[in-house]
Amino acid sequence: MTAIRTAGLSKRYGETLALDGLDLVVEPGEVYGYLGPNGAGKTTTIRLLLGLLRPSAGRVELFGVDAWRDPVAAHRRVAYVAAEPYLWPGLTGAETLEFLARVRGGADAGYREELIGRFQLDARKKVRALSHGNRQKVQLIAAFASRADLLILDEPTGGLDPLMEMAFRETVREAKERGQTVFLSSHILSEVEAVCERVGILRAGRLVDEGRLADLRHLSAQTVEVTFDGRVPQLPKLPGVEVAEAGVNALRFEVRGSVGPLITALADQSVVSLESRAPSLEEIFLHHYEGGDGRGGR
Amino acid sequence: MAGASAIARRAFADSRVRTISFAVLFVLSSITQATAYREGYPTLAERRDFARSVGDNDAARMLYGTPHDLLSVGGYVSWRVGGTLAVFAALWGLLGAVRAMRAEEESGRAELLLAGLISRRKAFLAQLAAIAAGAIVLWLALFVSFLAGRLPVDGSAYLALAIVSVVPVFAGVGAVASQLAPTRRMATGLATAVLVIAFALRTVAAVSSAGLDWLRWATPLGWAEQLRPFADPQPLVLLLPAATGALLLGAAGALAVRRDVGSGLLPARDSAPPRLRLLRSPGAQALRSERGALVAWLVGVGAFALLMGVMSDAATPDVISENVRRQLEKLGTDSVVTPSGWLGFFFIFFILAISLFCCMQISSLRGEEAEQRLETLLSLPVGRSGWLAGRLLLAAAGAAAVALAAGLLAWAGAAAQGADVSLPETLGAGANTLPPALLFLALGALAFALAPRASTVIAYGLVGLAFVWELFGALLEVPAWLLAVSPFHDVGLVPGEPFEAIPAAIMLTLAAVGALAALWAFRRRDLVGA
Repeated sequence: MTAIRTAGLSKRYGETLALDGLDLVVEPGEVYGYLGPNGAGKTTTIRLLLGLLRPSAGRVELFGVDAWRDPVAAHRRVAYVAAEPYLWPGLTGAETLEFLARVRGGADAGYREELIGRFQLDARKKVRALSHGNRQKVQLIAAFASRADLLILDEPTGGLDPLMEMAFRETVREAKERGQTVFLSSHILSEVEAVCERVGILRAGRLVDEGRLADLRHLSAQTVEVTFDGRVPQLPKLPGVEVAEAGVNALRFEVRGSVGPLITALADQSVVSLESRAPSLEEIFLHHYEGGDGRGGR
Repeated sequence: MAGASAIARRAFADSRVRTISFAVLFVLSSITQATAYREGYPTLAERRDFARSVGDNDAARMLYGTPHDLLSVGGYVSWRVGGTLAVFAALWGLLGAVRAMRAEEESGRAELLLAGLISRRKAFLAQLAAIAAGAIVLWLALFVSFLAGRLPVDGSAYLALAIVSVVPVFAGVGAVASQLAPTRRMATGLATAVLVIAFALRTVAAVSSAGLDWLRWATPLGWAEQLRPFADPQPLVLLLPAATGALLLGAAGALAVRRDVGSGLLPARDSAPPRLRLLRSPGAQALRSERGALVAWLVGVGAFALLMGVMSDAATPDVISENVRRQLEKLGTDSVVTPSGWLGFFFIFFILAISLFCCMQISSLRGEEAEQRLETLLSLPVGRSGWLAGRLLLAAAGAAAVALAAGLLAWAGAAAQGADVSLPETLGAGANTLPPALLFLALGALAFALAPRASTVIAYGLVGLAFVWELFGALLEVPAWLLAVSPFHDVGLVPGEPFEAIPAAIMLTLAAVGALAALWAFRRRDLVGA
C-alpha cells in the first residue's frame, strides 16, 4: 500500500490556481524531497495531504485512507511538522510534548528523551519564551518521537543552526532505517540532497520534474566562479562544462561531473580567485525550468 | 517625524473596531435618555418624586453613581449615563493603551519599528496621539447624541468632556501596566484590577450616606461626577484627571525608554516544572487555558449578583415611585416593587453577561484557528466535529456554572438582608438565563463555521443588537411581534414573573439545531488563518 497517493489534486483560491493537477506517489520507506521556491504551492499541498483544505478537484490518500473524508483515520499513522511552529504559549516544552503525545495516543518516551538531549531543548521553558528555532525543535521532537509511519515535514529546519541541522539529518536517517516514510518539503537543495532518494520539483502549482536525485543531473551540477587578473581569456570547449554567465574579468561555469578538466584548463591562466559551490535552487530554476508563461516544462 | 505619524496612524487604524464599537454603544445608550426623561417626568412634582426615590435607592446610586441634580433634563442625563459611560470610557482607555504598547511589543512588531529610525520616545508619543484621537471620536459621539436629545450646546460639550476625562487617567494606568507586565494578558489584568478598585470606591462613596463619601475624591470615576455637569459645573476639577493622567503617562514614558524592549519590569515566569493535569485531550487543554478567565467571570458575575441580592430588600412600593414603575412597565416589567420582581428585572443583565461569556468562548476558539494552533491539533488524530463539539460543551458548561453562581449569590445576598426570596427561585432565575445564552453560543458557532474571519464580530454583534433592540424597541413602541425577535424579550423575568416554557424550549431547540449545523458546516470548509 502506498504511503501517499494523490490523483489530479488541485486547489483553487478564487482566480488563483494554487495547485494544478498533482499526481504524486510515495512508497512506504521512501524519503521524498518536495522542492520548490517560495509560493510554489508546497504548503498548500501539505495542507491538502492532511485534509485541512478541501480539494477543488482530485483526491488524496494516505495509506489508502481518503484524507479529506476520513482525516482522523488518515492521521493515525502520520506526524506533521509545520513550517511555522504554532503552539500553546502558556505550556512549557515538556507539557507540549506530553499533550501532543496524549492526543495522538502515545509516543516513544525513551526516544523522546534522547531527542530532547540531541536537539538540546530546554523543556522547562514556556513556549512563549522560546525562539523560533527552539519552537521548531519542540515540533520535530514530537513528530519523530511519535514513531509514526509517515512524517510530513514542511520546511522543518527554518530557524535551526547548522549543528541542529545535522541533528535533524541524523534523525531523518534513523527514521529511514526504521522503515518510516518521510515527505520533506524544502527550498534548500543541499538539505534534500543530504537525506532524500527521490525528489519532486514544484513550480507555480505544477510538478515540473520528478525522479531519483542521480537521474536529475542538473541538480547535481556545481557552479564554479572564476575571477581573472585582467580580461577573460579564451578557453577550449570542455565536455560537461558550460559558461552560465560571462563578465569582463570573471566567468561562471556550470559543471556536470568532474571539475578536473576545467582546473587543468585554468592552470595556465592568471586566476585571482576560484569558488565552487552547489547551485542555488533559484539558479536551477532559471536554467532549467524557465518557461514563456512562467510555468514549468523544459 | 514622518515615522512617528505613520505609527500614530497605524495605531489608530488598529483600534478602529474597538473605538467605533464604543462610540456606537455611547450613542445608543445616551441618545434617547433626554427624551425619555422629558416624557416620563413632565412636571416638576413628578421630578421631585423621582429625585426622592433615587435619593433613597442605594441600588440605583450604586449602579449609576451619585446624582447632583435630578430636576433638570441635563442633570438627569448626566447621572443616568454619565457615571456608567465613564466606566466604559475608562475601559476603552486602558484597553487601547495595552493594545498599542504591550501587545505590539509582545508580537515583536514594536521591535521591528524601533530597529528603524524612530526613537522610543517618539514611538511612545505617537501611540499616545492615537489614543487621544480615539478619545476625540468618543467625545464627538457623546456630544452629538446629547445635542440630538435637545440639550444645550455648552452643557452637552461639558458633559461629554466629563465622561472622557477618565481616558487620560486610565490610558495612563494601561500604559504603566504595559511597562510592568511582560504579556498583554497580564497587563490587561493589572489595569482592569485598577478600574475595578476605582469602581468599587465610587460605589461605596455613592451608597454611604455619611462618613465614607469623601472616597469619591479618591477615584477618577468620582472626579468625573464631581465635575457636576448641568448641576453646578466645577471645571477646576478637570485639573485632577489632567494631572494624574500626565503623571502616569510621564512615568510610563520614562520607564519605556529605560527598560529592555520586549520584556516587562516584572519578571516573566518562563520556566516551570511540567504540570501534566488537563492535557489528556484538546478539550481538557482548552479548559486548562480558559480556567483563569472562567474564574474571573465567576467572581465578577457572582459579586454583582450578591450586590443585587443585598439591594433587593429595598425594592418596596414606598421606595420605587409610580413613575419609575411606569417606565419599567414599558420594558415589560410590572413587579419591580418586590424583591423577587426586582431580581427578575436585573437578571436580564445576567442574560447579557452570560451571552457575552459565550461570545468570548467563540472568540477564543476562533483564535485557536486564526493563530493556526488548530492546524497542529487537526494534523493529529483529532476530528473537527469532535474538537468543535468539545469546545461548545466546555462553553456551555462554563455558562451554566456562571449562571448558577449568579443564582446562588443573589440568594445569599437577599437572605443576608432577610428578603423574601428562596434559593430555588434564584437558582431558577440563573438557569433561566441559559436558553438565550446558549442560543447566542450556537449562532456564534454557526458564524464560526460559515464566516470564520467575521465570527467574533458577528457573535458579539448579535448579542449587542438583540439587547439594544429589547431596551430601545420598547421605548420606541415597536409592535410586540417585532420585539419578540430579540431573545431578551422572550424570556420570563424569573423569579418575579413565571418561567416561559415555550420560548425557552424553542430557544434550546434552535440552539441545538444551530450547533449541529455548525458542526456539519465546519467539517466542510478550509481552515482559515488570521
